[in-house]
Amino acid sequence: MKYVNTGVVFQEIPDETTLSINISNCPCHCMGCHSEYLWDDVGMPLNVMSLKPMLDEYGKDVTCIAFMGGDAEPREVDILASYIKQAYPHLKTAWYSGYSDISKEIHLKNFDFIKVGPYVQRLGGLDHETTNQRLYRVEDGKNLVDITSRFWKKHNF
Amino acid sequence: MEFQNFTILKRDGSRDQFSLDKIMTAIIKAFEAVGETYSIGSISKIISHLDIKDDIKVEDIQNQVEIALMKEGYFSVAKAFMLYRQSHTEDRETLDKLNFLTAYMEAANAATGSKFDANANVEHKNIATLIGELPKSNFIRLNRRLLTDRMKKMYGKELADKYIDLLTHHFIYKNDETSIAPYCASITMYPWLIGGTTGIGGNSTAPTNLKSFCGGFVNMVFIVSSMLSGACATPEFLMYLNYFIGKEYGTDYWKNPDKVVDLSLRQRTIDKVITDCFEQIVYSINQPTGARNFQAVFWNVAYYDKYYFESLFGNFYFPDGTQPDWNSLSWLQKRFMKWFNKERTKTVLTFPVETMALLADNGECRDKEWGEFAAEMYAEGHSFFTYMSDNADSLSSCCRLRNEIQDNGFSYTLGAGGVSTGSKSVLTVNLNRCIQYAVNNGKDYKQYLEEVIDLCHKVQLAYNENLKDLQEHGMLPLFDSGYINMSRQYLTIGVNGLVEAAEFMGLEITPNEKYKEFVQGVLSIVEKLNKQYRTKDVLFNCEMIPAENVGVKHAKWDREDGYFVPRDCYNSYFYVVEDESLNIMDKFKLHGAPYIEHLTGGSALHMNLEEHLSKAQYMQLLKVAANEGCNYFTFNIPNTICNECGCIDKRYLHECPKCHSKNVDYMTRIIGYLKRVSNFSQARQEEASRRYYAGPKKMTV
Repeated sequence: MKYVNTGVVFQEIPDETTLSINISNCPCHCMGCHSEYLWDDVGMPLNVMSLKPMLDEYGKDVTCIAFMGGDAEPREVDILASYIKQAYPHLKTAWYSGYSDISKEIHLKNFDFIKVGPYVQRLGGLDHETTNQRLYRVEDGKNLVDITSRFWKKHNF
Repeated sequence: MEFQNFTILKRDGSRDQFSLDKIMTAIIKAFEAVGETYSIGSISKIISHLDIKDDIKVEDIQNQVEIALMKEGYFSVAKAFMLYRQSHTEDRETLDKLNFLTAYMEAANAATGSKFDANANVEHKNIATLIGELPKSNFIRLNRRLLTDRMKKMYGKELADKYIDLLTHHFIYKNDETSIAPYCASITMYPWLIGGTTGIGGNSTAPTNLKSFCGGFVNMVFIVSSMLSGACATPEFLMYLNYFIGKEYGTDYWKNPDKVVDLSLRQRTIDKVITDCFEQIVYSINQPTGARNFQAVFWNVAYYDKYYFESLFGNFYFPDGTQPDWNSLSWLQKRFMKWFNKERTKTVLTFPVETMALLADNGECRDKEWGEFAAEMYAEGHSFFTYMSDNADSLSSCCRLRNEIQDNGFSYTLGAGGVSTGSKSVLTVNLNRCIQYAVNNGKDYKQYLEEVIDLCHKVQLAYNENLKDLQEHGMLPLFDSGYINMSRQYLTIGVNGLVEAAEFMGLEITPNEKYKEFVQGVLSIVEKLNKQYRTKDVLFNCEMIPAENVGVKHAKWDREDGYFVPRDCYNSYFYVVEDESLNIMDKFKLHGAPYIEHLTGGSALHMNLEEHLSKAQYMQLLKVAANEGCNYFTFNIPNTICNECGCIDKRYLHECPKCHSKNVDYMTRIIGYLKRVSNFSQARQEEASRRYYAGPKKMTV
């Protein structure tokens, strides 16, 4: 599994300050994809060895680590999330998957947030009320709570 | 002597064929002016003294004519010739002014039209702003003369000449040379509370009630600002307002804001009475002011958490013997912020610039209520500065000025000691040019910088002597009346072009050891000399200046002279504004403790974001700032103003949410002030458009 770049983002996970890790070799190839640069198997290896320095550098500054993609190797994503939960217990973890169903190789206990669903241009992304995509908060390591509506709230200023 | 084939160099740099006739005519005019007789022979003899070379300058020919006239014994004619030259010089100056006037009238906005000191705070271009612009060049000449005369007395002609040399070759830049007033001040209002404005030339007595406080406050700020060239901060504003509200409605007025207290037909509540006071003061002060060339005065206020309040005002006594009350002030501060944030959706209100002072401890705000309130206000889209410190021994009450509180005590003549400060004068070092010049000429750049900065200190001391002279002649009543204190005001060494110099040195502008060492190395030179020149009467500080127009000028001049110039406007930050590879945390790190430690005068991180964050996210960022030691920052999300229907929206939109027009403008901060982008000068507008507003890369994967 490889990643191309990282970023500090605010819109992907509500209320969290998130370090996003953009994973390549995405098998979804959604029409109108905003991140076509992640379709090919490019970038640097993503494993515990490469993850640790990122966590050491930004782990105090962010509240959540989000794996953006990785549907080709969900087991790898699960292992990294489980590592974060053990070694950096104060950090939340999130996975942005492009498939409609959560992979069987994912253990919910390793995640705080999971987003599912391919991008369908006609329905729009998470910020559209018509979207097919869903963002779940994982409660007690097993229950999925749909919090997609958090993206729809109107600004009140 | 054969004169026919020479070219001469004219004043505007163009070349022209040399004309003997023109010279002869000028000489004959001089003879005729004093009634001296002449012949072809005598004129030819004078001309035979001239040594004309190709590309000779007009002035050189005229100098030679003067000498030739004197050599031939025509002294009165020589004098007439000189007077003739002088009157032409004056004509040319008038012509220059006329040309400027025409260009100014045709410029796109006031900041682009201004030739000497562009300022986005001027919204309109009209006869009043033109009146302010016209004498600017004369002020520059006068200021240079005042300074060099003083320097000659203090340090000798050589150093005075060196100053002019560095100035005219853009190694250094004297800020606000177009005014002779001291720069900016954070004042204590205590003298006004005790004696009204009489001490500073006004005619109002001390405020006695809420109404006279509000009206008198506006007048006082106008008077104070007319004697400063920069900002006027009133860090006690809300504390005094709170006192007068308490006198009118009882100190626990804040517990019953909905109580009707106005027996007129309007039946106003306490809350309405208070917000009417806010309205009167804020709208009055945002008006363009005649005394300041149609600029609004630059007005700053401060909010405090409980710990700062106790540190600054714990020993304070009002004239009636009472002490300021924290609970009501805390309520009033919040009410003012909420009101101001809402009011800004109705109209563009630039002032006051607000700074919230928070005490941090181990990465957390010690006053949890105020830390949360700061995050809440940011999340509601309000734009203000936060100043965070581990110790309430320093404060920022100005748009950027950091002040080491030297005296937290209270005195019955001067009030709270900690709030009175400011900068008397700013002299800026163009680091990019200085460092490149040294390196290109095989010099040790640190040693060269030390020479330049040492000279800057001497220039500032000369300025200080001139200021003392003004004070001795009763010209500075703000000092005499105790609003500010001569020895508590800083002489500021500004820096500009730091990032660009580092780029020239091949350094990567990211949080890395080499860049950190470079920054610390350069800024510690300033700090070392600031300490060396400090006495009990003179304080120096170092500030990364918000280079609204200096940054543009330096980039232009340096490029013209062949220096490495990576952008059209030098940064006012420790990072490259348009660099998209740096994330928000990197920017906090680059304005963190190791980088800012020598910037004793402050520098504000303007964190540019594309979208508003939630309260929880701002809470996290306050934590990050506290952890990194980034003590002064604001979040900047461009607000949208519709040019068609006037709607103001706190979000960064490309279309008006009301009338859906695409003809929209944005408000943002480039210096400390929130203004329309279209009021910035041309070059600054370009910089603003290149800025990277960190935001969601995508909402979908």
